[in-house]
Amino acid sequence: MGNYSSRPNRKITKQDTAILDMKIQRDKLQQYQRRIQVILDRERAIAQQCLEKGDKERARLALRKRKYQAQLLVKTDSQLETLERLTQSIEFALVEKDVLFGLQQGSQVLREINREMSMDKVERLLDESADGIAYQNEVSQMLSNSITNSEEAEIEEELEAMRREEVFLRLHIHVIHTNYLLQLVKNIPTVPETELPQPQRVTAEREAEPEEEAEEPARKASKSRNRTEPLMA
Amino acid sequence: MSTLPSPTSTSSRSTSFPFPSIYSFPPFFTRQPNSQTWTSQLSLWNSLILAYCRYNRIWRIDLNTAIEWDLFNNRDINRSLKLETSKEVLDSMVKKGDAEWVSGSGSHVSKNTSAIIYWRRPEEWANIIADWIDSTGQKNTILTLYEIAEGDLSLSQDFRGIDPTILRKALDVLIRRGQAQIMKSADGEEAGVKFFGSQ
Repeated sequence: MGNYSSRPNRKITKQDTAILDMKIQRDKLQQYQRRIQVILDRERAIAQQCLEKGDKERARLALRKRKYQAQLLVKTDSQLETLERLTQSIEFALVEKDVLFGLQQGSQVLREINREMSMDKVERLLDESADGIAYQNEVSQMLSNSITNSEEAEIEEELEAMRREEVFLRLHIHVIHTNYLLQLVKNIPTVPETELPQPQRVTAEREAEPEEEAEEPARKASKSRNRTEPLMA
Repeated sequence: MSTLPSPTSTSSRSTSFPFPSIYSFPPFFTRQPNSQTWTSQLSLWNSLILAYCRYNRIWRIDLNTAIEWDLFNNRDINRSLKLETSKEVLDSMVKKGDAEWVSGSGSHVSKNTSAIIYWRRPEEWANIIADWIDSTGQKNTILTLYEIAEGDLSLSQDFRGIDPTILRKALDVLIRRGQAQIMKSADGEEAGVKFFGSQ
């Protein structure tokens, strides 16, 4: 039975004494039965002896006594049975009580656990974590702000430095550029003073040439001269 | 002692108890003057008495009557132990813890003649009873002292018919271990015991 709690253990309860009393009664009945059994045996022996001696009357008396004792024995048997049944039901009821106690404890624990996880609490917990997250965001924001504040000057300085550098770079590039340009200007080839040959005439001549070359080289010279003449005119 | 056959029916003192060979040795029944011999004689008697009591499931010896038992009388060799010598034997057993004098009830005012024989020590009985309680699922139940010794459940147990004094001592051991508690009946007598699980 239950070893789960210190409460019912190691203590003599009222039920315990009640059970003990009943068991003592049972013991007494059993002892009584033993005694009757002895008497029964003795009466029987007496009856036998009397019968042997021919004393029929006394034998009958002894047997009658024996009968009466036997009836008592039957009665005590039923009493014993009742007593034992009662004791057993009490003991069983105690076991049931233990079981009930166990169930009670179990459900109580369950209820406590559930109470710890109540909707309110869960909501609050979620709210709290949301708050926590918001707070965290705020903190990081504040931190970044504070960085600007405290290091504003530095940042400003850095920025200025960078700007200066850029200006310098630009200037430098400008100078380089100018120099380069100057260099380029120096190296530019002089514009040719002679006019470039007329491109159209050259191409026309080239087109005409292959056909005429196949005919006669002699006529080629005259023809080309002929062609140029009208143009010149 | 340990190789003895298991105990048979109680109370019959006429025995089939297998006496050791020393039992047929006449000087065994006479107190030996040599102290060394006497010591070994005492220890032989000690074992014999323990074995005899265990075999016949005898819990107490009252020398006034027991001196007539075959334990102290070997009629085959016509020898018997004197009452005085038997007292000395028991005295030495008491010293060893194998027996205990019980103050004679009423009439035996003079010298001890009655002793409890511990063929098992109270601690052993305590263990046996505790094991029995355990194996029969009787933890947290109430048992009467009578029930332990005479009840239906203890019918085949070694402690069947145990002497109330020995039982009480064994229970004391369990009480000291926190495994039991004595209960009193309505008329104030120690009548029952509640067993607890050992922890």
